[in-house]
Amino acid sequence: MSRERPGPLLEVRELRTVFGTDEGEFVAVDGVSFEVDAGRTLGLVGESGCGKSVTSLSIMGLVPSPGRIGGGEVIFDGEDLLRLPPPAMRELRGNRMSMIFQEPMTSLNPAFTIGDQVTEVILRHRDVSAAEARQQAIAMLRRVRIPSPEQRYHDHPHRLSGGMRQRVMIAMALALSPRLLIADEPTTALDVTIQAQILELMRALREETGTAIVLITHDLGVIAEVADEVAVMYAGRIVERAPVAALFAQPQHPYTIGLLGSIPQLHVEQDRLAAIEGQVPNASAPVSGCRFHPRCPFAVERCRSEIPPLREIAPAHAAACWLAPL
Amino acid sequence: MSALLKVESLLKHFPIRRGAFGRVSGMVQAVDGVSFDIGVGETLALVGESGCGKSTTGRLILRLIEPTSGRVWFDGRDVFALSDSQMRDLRGAMQIIFQDPFASLNPRMTIGQTLEEPLALHGLAEGRRRARVAEILNLVGLAPQYARRYPHEFSGGQRQRVGIARALAVEPRLIVCDEPVSALDVSIQAQVINLLRDLQARLSLSYIFIAHDLAVVKFIATRVAVMYMGRIVEYAHKNALFAQPRHPYTQALLAAIPVPDPTLHRDRSLLQGDVPDPANPPSGCRFRTRCPHARTRCAEDTPLLEADETGHAVACHFWREIPPAVAFLPGSAAAPRNARLEALQAAFRRPRPDAILDNDHPGASP
Repeated sequence: MSRERPGPLLEVRELRTVFGTDEGEFVAVDGVSFEVDAGRTLGLVGESGCGKSVTSLSIMGLVPSPGRIGGGEVIFDGEDLLRLPPPAMRELRGNRMSMIFQEPMTSLNPAFTIGDQVTEVILRHRDVSAAEARQQAIAMLRRVRIPSPEQRYHDHPHRLSGGMRQRVMIAMALALSPRLLIADEPTTALDVTIQAQILELMRALREETGTAIVLITHDLGVIAEVADEVAVMYAGRIVERAPVAALFAQPQHPYTIGLLGSIPQLHVEQDRLAAIEGQVPNASAPVSGCRFHPRCPFAVERCRSEIPPLREIAPAHAAACWLAPL
Repeated sequence: MSALLKVESLLKHFPIRRGAFGRVSGMVQAVDGVSFDIGVGETLALVGESGCGKSTTGRLILRLIEPTSGRVWFDGRDVFALSDSQMRDLRGAMQIIFQDPFASLNPRMTIGQTLEEPLALHGLAEGRRRARVAEILNLVGLAPQYARRYPHEFSGGQRQRVGIARALAVEPRLIVCDEPVSALDVSIQAQVINLLRDLQARLSLSYIFIAHDLAVVKFIATRVAVMYMGRIVEYAHKNALFAQPRHPYTQALLAAIPVPDPTLHRDRSLLQGDVPDPANPPSGCRFRTRCPHARTRCAEDTPLLEADETGHAVACHFWREIPPAVAFLPGSAAAPRNARLEALQAAFRRPRPDAILDNDHPGASP
């Protein structure tokens, strides 16, 4: 199974994912590279359409049609997943790597009890008896802090609250002790007190299991609470990558700086937010040079024509901006 | 009476129907005795989690749904006592903007037609409508030529500007803003919040701002009413509420906000459990099933919302005995400021002469 080898658990190199449309090819993920070590959490942050979800689906081999991988490598535990045949990929998913989504209701089958659904995951990948799988499922429901799991086992998803459903999803995702969990906006649909519970749970489970997490979110508050490293995406590219403390204290890309200024501060009295003017670029209106230059107050001539590469400007801190360090 | 809007003991109970014959098997007390008032140019924020009754309250005030009981006074007039035609006149003065403006725009009408409709309804002469439309678009930061476009040609942030423009068309005095920025991206959200604030200052508008994001509420509100299961549990000026939250639920809400500062390690007591079934609310204080401070009395007596001399009101029997909220809010005025970051962010606040005006994107026009 998993080979013991030094280096990151997941290494994404120059990933490119394209969608064929009537107007031509749309590059959703445009040369994205990052690494995640075992037991660490990488936060992938950005606004709608920046390519963060497509990046995660590309890693899982779940890019929906008409999308396809246009290039790059996804090295997981020493293997390039992009070259893996579909049956091997299916075996991997849910087993050594798994995923949870924003809306648990769409990923749970309304016709089956939650217990049966967790048991099913275990039976599909493990050589255990039905009774054993059932015991493991109950243990898993208990681990995600579902109260009286023996009784809840027999509930259908619609009987549970949003927070409880997300716990069931996490139980299914972690049932086989995967080495990597991809969580795509896992708390976005939840109320703030329930969100805090789920984030706490994810933190605790990571401590217990050593599972690496790729957390996709638009919420910089969530990033600050749970991520170790952060990659900020804009229009299909990573524009900044840094350890979480450095990203918030010393952001280097103008987009990150503007994004931090767009969030109202709880402890500071403010007259105006530092909003980023303009719109996120869309598929039908590609931007030349740095994708952010039409909205950037620092942009110079070079930014309009040349794409800035992601380059290191401090140890472990990289930014894709001609003007960095700012 | 100086309040523009006064809400008194507002109550809305929805019947729960079950079975083939739709027999009423119970009642959901969606809004259960809510009272507040709003002055001219003020913003009252209604906050709370899903199902707490904040949106229902907004709709009741506009009479988009009929209340079970209670009174609403707008500028001294009893809203629920008005005839249909009187209500039509009043609707101009009270407007609403929604979370998803696209759902409330007719896809077959241009923005200009959409904006002219309320003007016609409120009797503005045809010749003057076009000029007024241009004026309103300008007010919300959109170029006048946008009047010829259709809703699908706009981005989310622009659509919300159109939603605001439509509310402003008939010169309202009060706007109910129902989660107006929750569906928007963070950078766009900040544009719309700045716009709402600018418009309020220019036009002396009053807002009821319904939201679940407390950071946004802290930025825009004058006063805040925290709701839980149909009732207001705390009501105070925003500075008092954020600095000294008194109700255990408010304290829990503030403690749960994820804060964009990784250096903060808050010692927070997380709220356990979920909101109870609204058809079968707990007796006494509805929060008691999740409250870390609950005692026997909380199940027996319903705590009343009682204000002190400063106007800070709380509905809790024991708030005086609860240990004062220590640092529910991260940081403080004494927290070190990041001068470099503030200087860089100031560049985003400066008006840019070369910036593409009215948020159009190059190539986005048809």
